[in-house]
Amino acid sequence: MKRHDVTAGPASSGPASGGIEHTCVSRRSFLKGGSVAGGAIMLSGVPGMEGKVLAAQVVRYPRMFIAKLSALTTDQPLKFKYPDDGRNSGSLLVKLGERAGGGLGPDRDVVAFNALCTHQGGPMGGTYKPEHKILGPCPFHQSTFDLTRHGMIVSGHATESLPQVLLELEGDDIYAVGMIGLIYGRHDNLKG
Amino acid sequence: MTADTSTPFFQPEDRIPLPPKDAEVLTTCCDYCVMACGYKVYRWPASSPDGGPRKDQNAIGRNYPLRPLQGGWVGPNQFTQATYRGRLYNIVVIPDPDTKVVNPGGGHSIRGGCIAQKVYNPRKPTQDRLKYPMVRINDTLMPVTWDFALDIVAEVSKHVIRHHGEHSWAMKYFSYQYFENTYALTKLALKSINTPAIAHHDHPSFVNSVPGWVDIGYDIFGASHEDFALADCLVISGTDPFETKTALWNHWILKGIHGNKTKVIMINPRRTAGIAYAEKHGGLHLDVDPGSDTVVHMALQRIILENGWEDTAFIEKWVNNFWETDSGFGQGTRNTPWQWRTTWGMFQVKGFEDWKAWVLAQEESKPEVAAGIAGIDVAKLYTAAEMMAKPKADGSRVKTTICIEKGNYWSNNYLNTASIGTLGVILGCGGKPGQVMTRLGGHQRGGVSGGPYPGIKSPYKFPGRRRHRLDLDRWLEAGHVRFAYVIGTTWIQAMAGSTALDETFNRLVKLNPNQVRSFDKQTIIDTLKKRVDSGGTMVVNQEIYLRNPIGSKYADIVLPAATWGEEDFTRANSERRVRLYSKFYDPPGDAKPDWQIVAMLAKKMGFEGYDWKDSNDVFEESCRFSRGSRKDYNAIRIMARRKGMRAHDFLRQYGTTGLQAPLLLDGDRIIETKRLHDYNRTDLPDTGPEKATIFNSRLVAFKTHTGKLNLVKSPWNIWSDFYDFMKPRDGEVWIMTGRINEIWESGFDDYERRPYTQQRWPMNFVEIHPDDARPKGIESGDLVAIESHRVPVQTGHNLGVKSDDMWFSGLMKRGHIEISSGQFSAVAIVTPAVKRGTIFTDFLKLDSPANSITPRVPDPISMNYRFKVASGTITRVGESPFKHKFSQMTFKRRDIV
Repeated sequence: MKRHDVTAGPASSGPASGGIEHTCVSRRSFLKGGSVAGGAIMLSGVPGMEGKVLAAQVVRYPRMFIAKLSALTTDQPLKFKYPDDGRNSGSLLVKLGERAGGGLGPDRDVVAFNALCTHQGGPMGGTYKPEHKILGPCPFHQSTFDLTRHGMIVSGHATESLPQVLLELEGDDIYAVGMIGLIYGRHDNLKG
Repeated sequence: MTADTSTPFFQPEDRIPLPPKDAEVLTTCCDYCVMACGYKVYRWPASSPDGGPRKDQNAIGRNYPLRPLQGGWVGPNQFTQATYRGRLYNIVVIPDPDTKVVNPGGGHSIRGGCIAQKVYNPRKPTQDRLKYPMVRINDTLMPVTWDFALDIVAEVSKHVIRHHGEHSWAMKYFSYQYFENTYALTKLALKSINTPAIAHHDHPSFVNSVPGWVDIGYDIFGASHEDFALADCLVISGTDPFETKTALWNHWILKGIHGNKTKVIMINPRRTAGIAYAEKHGGLHLDVDPGSDTVVHMALQRIILENGWEDTAFIEKWVNNFWETDSGFGQGTRNTPWQWRTTWGMFQVKGFEDWKAWVLAQEESKPEVAAGIAGIDVAKLYTAAEMMAKPKADGSRVKTTICIEKGNYWSNNYLNTASIGTLGVILGCGGKPGQVMTRLGGHQRGGVSGGPYPGIKSPYKFPGRRRHRLDLDRWLEAGHVRFAYVIGTTWIQAMAGSTALDETFNRLVKLNPNQVRSFDKQTIIDTLKKRVDSGGTMVVNQEIYLRNPIGSKYADIVLPAATWGEEDFTRANSERRVRLYSKFYDPPGDAKPDWQIVAMLAKKMGFEGYDWKDSNDVFEESCRFSRGSRKDYNAIRIMARRKGMRAHDFLRQYGTTGLQAPLLLDGDRIIETKRLHDYNRTDLPDTGPEKATIFNSRLVAFKTHTGKLNLVKSPWNIWSDFYDFMKPRDGEVWIMTGRINEIWESGFDDYERRPYTQQRWPMNFVEIHPDDARPKGIESGDLVAIESHRVPVQTGHNLGVKSDDMWFSGLMKRGHIEISSGQFSAVAIVTPAVKRGTIFTDFLKLDSPANSITPRVPDPISMNYRFKVASGTITRVGESPFKHKFSQMTFKRRDIV
């Protein structure tokens, strides 16, 4: 199958376990209404409204080249800005070396997040902890976030998970194509 | 219930409406923990335009995007919609970005930060709020009118009181949910009915949580938050404010650690994030075994005394000597609490030297012995004593503040609180900036009493002269409660030995043959009268959600309550700051505030004095009953009258700052109180206190008959028999229950109805040390069962006559201890942060109640439960759904710094 590899977690969970696996889908695949490549989740598998919301979040965003997959080294985060160069857009791309929710690549281990703490905007770009695969503790009030689980809060005060940057792989090229969650300090991710 | 059966998911937004410039702005505070951070509510019609990102385009007055720490950010969890006067509004609830107190600059916790999601919204998981009164007919709760439901409640209540006595009419209620409601509820129970069968949500009896400090003379909330930033050394026992007092940690303790080089000593079996942070910044972790705190305190006392590090000047001036203790000032100690507890001289000493000799004579105060009992490195005791007491190089004293919470006082209640209290006395704690004694607190301080507790009516008695207050759980089990009015508490899962309590409710309510099978009101009343006359119990549950099982299974009548945001309310926080919590939307359906339900019921029962028009009327009536208390707010009513205002509106002017009680009046000027026991205070009005406000000794001295502190003994042998029974044996581990940051005094909202919190904690959890997990084959993400088949439950009407009758071995010998069982499930988190041989789980998850295995044997001195001292087995059941999925729950350790 031609390369529009797309990040994905396992198929969406049912009522027993609850929750959706946020999947990073190909914007164009979705717009074409087709299925997603790489054996990844079908949007139809996402219960309720989430698929539409996810689609909207992808559709609004710019598609931006971030890095070459082959150039990434495990546990060495790469800083980039997304979805623009404005305030608070600093983000991290990291190859975790273990499978993660929304992970890209053959090992499903490449993820990207906005690097501002969603509590009060603490800068966490330099706080990646390879041994734990977390971001944090935030230098302000010690919040920590699990990068293997969609930026979920591990401990602390933030009222949102870390905004996850949706990624897409084309050949060896990694593109940022959307976001889940609101960047600290913004009222709209695209109005920076 | 919808929220239980639907799929919870968290799908965050990536844009949010901002309040327009002309949005209405109201002030409130968080509904949850005792800090009560200040919040602002922005309300604008859903049909009108939203605000823009420039400060002249939005009501927050800030330019977006915001800078770090700027305050005023609206996150997706801070937006909702609600109806107000029948019209749909957009609602934003954010921490007040402009506040200077409690949470300066708009800091917040994860709980308060999401409080907008507490608001009833029929399109969100709050959709199952109780909306209409319901009566159980043929075991189905059916909607009825208020009159229909309350006629039944009133008629059966009157019948019970007339034929079975007021002892048989019981109230189990929250102690904290706003002055207006607690005043109305206690006015009904204590003044109008005058029943001794009343208990708060967290005790089996109507008792004090920190009895040791009562005897010593310390108020339990005497501090100002500022003190935490001023201390040289903070001793924190039985909690971690990082987890459970967010604003205190983030704004005051961190300020001390970084600005004042405060050294933090934490006493806690589990290494939490705050403890890890304290250790990294020169602090110390005393990782005691559950229930061993008293000997640790005594060993610290011994080390301090042997080195002569006690605060001699303070002790000479502020500790009662023999004459003052025993015979001075009128009745001397005959009427002090310790004599109420026992007349056998068990705690009383003849002044400092006598107490010192007692401490030094105790085997358990030897550091090696204490360290052995507590399971800690003895060197830590010497280090801790130095940190808190060794004079500085220039000879000046270390300013030490001691603060405690439930890990301390919910285990060995009397001895822990007495011994850490006396530790505070010899360190000179109390009344000085950075050198205070205080509880850290749980729920907010919203209690005011509408009547006196009729102690004389309680049948329970401790050896000695005085009566114990009635143990409502035991009273119920013995079949004496014929009518139970349960307000805002689960009762069953919140109490120790909950399996036995559940069985009691089942026996008294469900297994009684008199069940309602008609929609005719008189037939319903007659059926319930037959039930109570035949030894059964009628249950009324007043709540915001249908709780399992007290509401869904046992309640004959369910009454829907209005809550935070749905009525104007007032309440105090941990530094006694009183503020108005504004109403900003309509309650769901026909729900009404508790005070109003009480008023309707009381009038139907024929009582007078319930003609309140609104919550302000109740507040104004309650003001004078606050006089002389630590949260004396009577000055608000007086000043409001002088200015021709309603008291609520007068307080509203003070916004999220409020007024710090006790309040004194000097002419037309309100004088606030920063901290209690402030014996250096000079701003007391010359003429005021005797009139509008009451002067009480704790303003400028301590809370005893002399104004000086009492030293008390803490004899280990009155606890050791129970402790030996509870220690793990035969493959058991200590089971420690507690709270976590994400769910703290907010479980009544969070656990089931906040997708963001649910993704983090979809099920109960248990932390287990890798060394304990490995042999059992337990990995993170596995589902485990925790179980005990030897849960002691105290039963029967046991009158204490001889001195040792009421100790655990005495109760066992006399057949007052039955053995029950308990079990619950949880998802394992394997982490070295929890002490080897100890597991840690959430205190109260309704569908997985940890209290099923906690001992229902209250402290015989103080009638507090010992929730934190339990043991049992843990076994692997299989894998949880979360072990290999990424969307819910994380198993990362929580102590990474």
